[in-house]
Amino acid sequence: MILYWIGSLVALFVLFPVVVYLLRGVLQAAEGIVPSVDRITAAAAAGSRDLDAVPLLLTTQAQVKQTVETVADYGGSLDQIVDDA
Amino acid sequence: MPAAGIVLIIAVLLIVAALVYYLVATIVALRKIATGLDGAIAAVGEIVAKSAPVEAVVNDINGNLDAAVDALEGLLVKKVGLNDAIGLIDGLYPGAGAEGMRNFPDSGKIVPPRIGEVYTRGVLTLARLGREAPIAAASPEGPVLRHASRASSEVRVLYPNERQVRPQRLPNSPVIGTDSPVRYEQALTPGVRPRPRTPLAAAAGDDETKGES
Repeated sequence: MILYWIGSLVALFVLFPVVVYLLRGVLQAAEGIVPSVDRITAAAAAGSRDLDAVPLLLTTQAQVKQTVETVADYGGSLDQIVDDA
Repeated sequence: MPAAGIVLIIAVLLIVAALVYYLVATIVALRKIATGLDGAIAAVGEIVAKSAPVEAVVNDINGNLDAAVDALEGLLVKKVGLNDAIGLIDGLYPGAGAEGMRNFPDSGKIVPPRIGEVYTRGVLTLARLGREAPIAAASPEGPVLRHASRASSEVRVLYPNERQVRPQRLPNSPVIGTDSPVRYEQALTPGVRPRPRTPLAAAAGDDETKGES
């Protein structure tokens, strides 16, 4: 009977607090990750929005090509233009 | 049932209740994490998809610009010669002559000469090419003719006591428009505004008035 009592008291005053302590630690760790994940999600979404302007590079590409072709069309005339500028 | 059995049952019930409470809360938190990660993964996928064509396009732009820079740099050298070209570049951007020109590897070793000729604005424009853009990472540090992000700070260094330091001591801007109050002396003659009266001039004017009377 004494052993029965000892087992019961150990379960109540030792096992129960230890279980609560460990589970609470797991819960706190999981809840601590949530804000980090939220920030990562927000940052990734913002990064994706920043890249919305990437298609404008196609315009830049076309204009650069056009400008270079225009300069090339001047050919030897550019030599004279630089002198007269 | 003995009292010890009741205590044991209570202990077991408490442990099970704690397990249920904390494990359910943990499951909820993990579900939030999974949802957040799903959103992050989707956004990262968008980033990857959007940035995929960037390299090819930028390489193409750089290729075209390289061709243009090569041609214009060659034209500058053809117009003024390699020595004067380095001298012009170093004169416009002190220190830039040491970096030399891209297509003339040994040009960086040339000691920038003093320019004894007057070159046209077109030649100077050629010498400036590629060296004034604020995004040009290879731009030489140090004093420059015009720097988009540095110009205002240089002026503030020269005149530290102007508006940026004590704005409260500067006079207010004049109120203009049809409903503005008259704050200034009216001009007697078109184009001529009377000079503001200083205390000294006011005293002299009073003396003249007394003398006439």
